[in-house]
Amino acid sequence: MTQTQSPILTIQNLVIKFTLRGRVLTAIRNISLDLYKGENLAIVGESGSGKSVLMKSIMGLLDKNGYIDQGQILYNTQDLAQFRTEREWLSIRGKEVAMVTQDPMTSLNPLKTIGKQIEECVHLHQDLKGKVAYEETLKLLKDVGIHDVEKRYKQYPHEFSGGMRQRIVIAIALACKPKILICDEPTTALDVTIQAQILQLLKNLQQKYGLTTVYITHDLGVVAKVADRIAVMYAGDVIEIGKTHEIFFNGKHPYTWALISSLPQLGSKGEQLYSIKGTPPNLFQEIKGDAFAPRNQYALKIDFVERPPFFQVSDTHYARTWLLDPLAPKVEPPEALQAFFAEGRRYAHES
Amino acid sequence: MSHKEVVVEVKNLKVVFGKGKNKFIAIDDVSFDIFKGETFGLVGESGSGKTTIGRAIMRINEVTEGQILYHGKKLNGKISKEWDREITQKIQMIFQDPMASLNERAKVDYIISEGLINTKNFKNEADRQQKVRNALLNVGLLPEFSSRFPHEFSGGQRQRIGIARALVMEPEFIIADEPISALDVSIRAQVLNLLANLQQQNDLTYLFIAHDLSVVRFITDRTAVIYKGKIVELAETEKLFANPLHPYTRALLSAVPEPNPYKERDKVVEIYDPSQHNYDIQPPSFIEIEEGHFVLANEEELERYRTSLKMEVSK
Ligand SMILES: Nc1ncnc2c1ncn2[C@@H]1O[C@H](COP(=O)(O)OP(=O)(O)OP(=O)(O)O)[C@@H](O)[C@H]1O
Ligand SMILES: Nc1ncnc2c1ncn2[C@@H]1O[C@H](COP(=O)(O)OP(=O)(O)OP(=O)(O)O)[C@@H](O)[C@H]1O
Ligand SMILES: [Mg+2]
Ligand SMILES: [Mg+2]
Repeated sequence: MTQTQSPILTIQNLVIKFTLRGRVLTAIRNISLDLYKGENLAIVGESGSGKSVLMKSIMGLLDKNGYIDQGQILYNTQDLAQFRTEREWLSIRGKEVAMVTQDPMTSLNPLKTIGKQIEECVHLHQDLKGKVAYEETLKLLKDVGIHDVEKRYKQYPHEFSGGMRQRIVIAIALACKPKILICDEPTTALDVTIQAQILQLLKNLQQKYGLTTVYITHDLGVVAKVADRIAVMYAGDVIEIGKTHEIFFNGKHPYTWALISSLPQLGSKGEQLYSIKGTPPNLFQEIKGDAFAPRNQYALKIDFVERPPFFQVSDTHYARTWLLDPLAPKVEPPEALQAFFAEGRRYAHES
Repeated sequence: MSHKEVVVEVKNLKVVFGKGKNKFIAIDDVSFDIFKGETFGLVGESGSGKTTIGRAIMRINEVTEGQILYHGKKLNGKISKEWDREITQKIQMIFQDPMASLNERAKVDYIISEGLINTKNFKNEADRQQKVRNALLNVGLLPEFSSRFPHEFSGGQRQRIGIARALVMEPEFIIADEPISALDVSIRAQVLNLLANLQQQNDLTYLFIAHDLSVVRFITDRTAVIYKGKIVELAETEKLFANPLHPYTRALLSAVPEPNPYKERDKVVEIYDPSQHNYDIQPPSFIEIEEGHFVLANEEELERYRTSLKMEVSK
């Protein structure tokens, strides 16, 4: 791996809240996270656990009813958490950090041709004009796998399929030439062949320009393909983080186990797939201890009382579970997973 | 196989967008049947026309040529009021883009009940509330969420509102367009289990559009592969995954990422090159090459596919 271990962005003790008609919801509960220069970090986890909110906060894109309650976001000697004005954010957004958001339709202007929308970024961030900017725009369209680019340049968002729109948003982000690229579910609407092409494109850019990428995705196949490290989120917290193989084949938090156990590849056709029982916690209420405890068959008494600290598993692997406390009883991961883990370790030996 | 009741019949469907110089044939002579109680998968390239087919069945996209029948009765063109009302309730679609398909200004409670209200499909206010509550719980959302607006949710939560809205109508046939793409694997499993249970209890039929082929393999009975507005292969799902014939199907299956970083690192993906066919000289047709297994091919290709099928069996 080419990555040097110097952080390009550091999140410290971040708390993010939303006010909803008089009530307060805590979406991010005291997260600290380093993003290393040139790495590919994947953020996985429960739907609603705060993945998008966390990443939007480093671009100043939180919804109006959301705010940073505590903590710091350090980038180039600046604390982005202190930013108050659009003007401040404009010095970061696009040029330094660009984001491919989860709902492509909402980030496209329905009244402008997609060609113009891409070209604007090319002009603004690469300082290209006229024919050169036009050519660069066509090139970006080709890069993301769009054909007939001259014709497509002149079309409006509604004339594109779901997956094409997603690729247009990726092209716009790339047009900004950012240092950090955040991709929120970048390939969910893409068939696997185009997906492979886009992921390869992002990898090439990463190698060429030392781009740092954050992938938010539910597709563990994509994670396996692109990520150097994985952060697993549950209920507004990062509960485990480590190198990709460490999370896949040596995960320690019972939520990580449950997540992998739900993969269709581990199920058999005609039978029920494994899924986690119960519902995620209500974020309006204060969460005590380990948020996953009520749904966790391996929960200890202390899990309901005290938030577990990060226990170190290796130099690169940490997990927030009391099961790693030296005093905790020894618990093995579920049986179905052990076979999956064993297969992974076999591959590890071979390569 | 031949005794199965056909629910949806798509016959020589053609959908054209735009006019004159901007004319674009999105769906070109597509035919297939969907049987009662089955899950029919539709997979293929982005932009190949999957959503367009779904929207044509929903009567959102106009049918340029061909026919769509539901239980043998015409869906497209002029239809009677009663038939219109009946299929409005019985056929539901879970839309691909949840944000664009949910009314931004309405609360979740209304979004989920809207169809019920339109078709007067509830006994009283308490019954309506109960239905909304159950619909939310079924997709792993808290009933308290019903007083919120769509933009106050995460992507996956919004997608589940779209699912709840379709299921609450108690439809017979559901077009699910990428219904679980924004869900984490556990919620995904919960929704897939729910769809399977509903299917068993009520004999529901699904048209399931998805890019995640591990999910398609797991949940569908038969799968059609579409490329640039044409179906290139259709077979029982297990057969298709075991013996893909069309080079596009092969390319597609070779690209499925697996949850294993070691395997993924040095994986070689087949690329499909459409210029490999000699269709100018010998045009293709959609042929049943073995029972229930259709492929788009010309004579020369069929010969090759037949041989490769023989080789498969002898292994
Ligand atoms: N504008 C808002 N107002 C109130 N609550 C919000 C708002 N936006 C998000 N939330 C809540 O914050 C939590 C985190 O949302 P977020 O979008 O970060 O989830 P996510 O991890 O990205 O989930 P998904 O995988 O479904 O996209 C969710 O429970 C969501 O309901
Ligand atoms: N309203 C429209 N006007 C013009 N062209 C359209 C329109 N809707 C769809 N198309 C075109 O029809 C083709 C098929 O689109 P469709 O949305 O059916 O693709 P899809 O298979 O669902 O793709 P994806 O997997 O990316 O969602 C695309 O080339 C698209 O650009
Ligand atoms: Mg999200
Ligand atoms: Mg589509």
